Amino acid sequence: MIRIAELSCGAEYSGIQKEIERAAETVGAKIVYPEVSLDDILNVEEKFGVRVSSGDLNMAMARAVRIVENPDLADAVIVMTCFRCAEAAIIRSEIRKFIHERSRIPVLSYSFTERTTAETLLTRMEALVTTVKYRGLLGRERQTGLTAGIDSGSTTTKSVVMRDNQVIGTGWVPTTEVIKSAEDAFAAALKEAGVQKEEVQGLGVTGYGRFLVGKHFNARLVQEEITVNSKGAVFLADAQQGPATVIDIGGMDNKAIAVQDGIPGGFTMGGICAGASGRFLELTSRRLGVDITELGKLALKGNYQNVAMNSYCIVFGTQSLVNSLSMGCKPEDVAMAACHSVAEQVYEQQLQEVEVKEPVIMVGGTSLIEGLPRAMEELLHLKVKVPPHAQYIGAVGSALLVSGLLEG
Amino acid sequence: MAKVIVYPPTSMILSDLVERTGHKALVVPEQVRKLVTSTEIESPPLNMTPEEPKKGLRYAAVDVPSGVRGRMALIGPLIEEADAAIIMEDPGWLTGCAGCNRTNELVRLLIRTKGIPVLDLKYPENDSQAREFVRKIKAFLEGLK
Amino acid sequence: MLVTKYIITSTESSILPSDIAMKIYGSGYDLNVKETCFGVIINGEEKVVNEAVREIRALDPAGIFIKDRGFPPGDPRRCRGRRGGGARPGYYMIESESKLLPMISRALASEAGPEEKAEAPLERKPLDIKRLEEIIEEELS
Repeated sequence: MIRIAELSCGAEYSGIQKEIERAAETVGAKIVYPEVSLDDILNVEEKFGVRVSSGDLNMAMARAVRIVENPDLADAVIVMTCFRCAEAAIIRSEIRKFIHERSRIPVLSYSFTERTTAETLLTRMEALVTTVKYRGLLGRERQTGLTAGIDSGSTTTKSVVMRDNQVIGTGWVPTTEVIKSAEDAFAAALKEAGVQKEEVQGLGVTGYGRFLVGKHFNARLVQEEITVNSKGAVFLADAQQGPATVIDIGGMDNKAIAVQDGIPGGFTMGGICAGASGRFLELTSRRLGVDITELGKLALKGNYQNVAMNSYCIVFGTQSLVNSLSMGCKPEDVAMAACHSVAEQVYEQQLQEVEVKEPVIMVGGTSLIEGLPRAMEELLHLKVKVPPHAQYIGAVGSALLVSGLLEG
Repeated sequence: MAKVIVYPPTSMILSDLVERTGHKALVVPEQVRKLVTSTEIESPPLNMTPEEPKKGLRYAAVDVPSGVRGRMALIGPLIEEADAAIIMEDPGWLTGCAGCNRTNELVRLLIRTKGIPVLDLKYPENDSQAREFVRKIKAFLEGLK
Repeated sequence: MLVTKYIITSTESSILPSDIAMKIYGSGYDLNVKETCFGVIINGEEKVVNEAVREIRALDPAGIFIKDRGFPPGDPRRCRGRRGGGARPGYYMIESESKLLPMISRALASEAGPEEKAEAPLERKPLDIKRLEEIIEEELS
């Protein structure tokens, strides 16, 4: 049984403690609370560096100290505090850093509201448990044999076929009917690779539709996107050893993952704002009358500062773009403003929750919209790497990991 | 008999001293009891559900963190019921129901703006302060009769 | 209605948690009793609990303290054994206040005695700015 230590403030009073426990139970884990004494809480500043006015946050910090001093007390940690609490936001981030810098225990950081449900937490918990349970598998650096991967995403379905550490076939289709799209993408990848389905030794599946698709194809590996994508990203970017940061701006949600030696150490996942997703860029390209594949190149010629954007929102932000066009702004400036808006929201809301260490790898279909990695570079003040096959990241990660299972 | 809200609302010492003098101490454990002994809900440990932060909207706006509003769903009704209050200066070791300082600030504010008699005290640090502490509480409570 | 109360003894009280438990058993109250490191937890019908509390207080009026508790004794939802360890948050508050009980007990016991003036807390006044300047010059010269 995987033990997840809960360091939290406000979860019980927000009425979501049961949801946290339910999510943990679903992924085969148990929530534990490290023992601390009253003196540990009162003297927390000595070891943690600060004491705040809310006692439950002091307790969470004291528990973090205890875990770092006794790493065998827990296999993973979740740090959870109320959304919109400034005091807690500072401490949540500092607890994450404190544990990250002093141990190898994976940490999940999350701010909740009373609307947070077990379903919201599930993928995050699953990733946390996977990093603990399959540490050996995640350490795998080479793909062997003939394997395939399918990434059943919310917007697009991707598939790859790999042989002896090389991608030999790819398939990409918009997601309509989940199974049908997976079949089409897989068939395209097989065709390009010139192999028959029966020849494939192992299939790995990830993405939103992973359970359905995994069952349909009787896949050997069915895995959430966080561990799979980070694996795929460091593989393709040739950054398997040492630190890396993976940013995946998807069609419906975003992931920011701090990776160490190919294994996620901390991550966040956002998924409530369409303004921070590929959808926003899709709408912009439609409004500008350019194909989505051309939007990035157009953006590179523009300057976002020439466009006044009042909101990140897909409705009101798009309105700003439309207004600026009617006021004579150039399409390239509008294209870059859209890229900057998406990047900035991810930067503000997610990259603050993970340790950003180089190389920064951007993956997923949106990373091919050149303006987006450029905007991220400007925000982070460092170089962003977009590896080859970046849009097939989940499928590549699945094909790579499943090959590890074939060797038993 | 007066209904006296004590702060911190889980204080053993204050609730004991209030009840000794024949008054009713308004304390959070009684609110928790209502929740945990309710058979209709199964949301351990406190049996609080997302309904509590919603009830807390009576005391704090929606942009106030859910943990504050959830706690207010427990403490707010006690403030409404109170005829008098005893407020301790923060001793630095409040946890659980009193473990969120934003809630604690709101609780103290709502008690003070209610216009009921309030006794402000500090936790004693020596015997003579303890005697003064007990005497002040006794005098305050006798004045409520 | 069923209610639960902590009966907590000051560390200086001559009454032990076991004495309280014996008293409850001896008086034939229909109550659940659980001994803890601080005292005992009793659970039962409110009327019975209140009667028992009155009788228990009389054992040492200045040394026994009563506190309401939301959860029944041994409730698995709050039991650290069942819930992955770690004291429940309220435990630390009881522990903190318990340390003050001997002082409160002595104060309650002396209630009947003659009134004496409390030691005035030390007045904290900021140092006169002139004096601070003198000190700085002395120290740096």
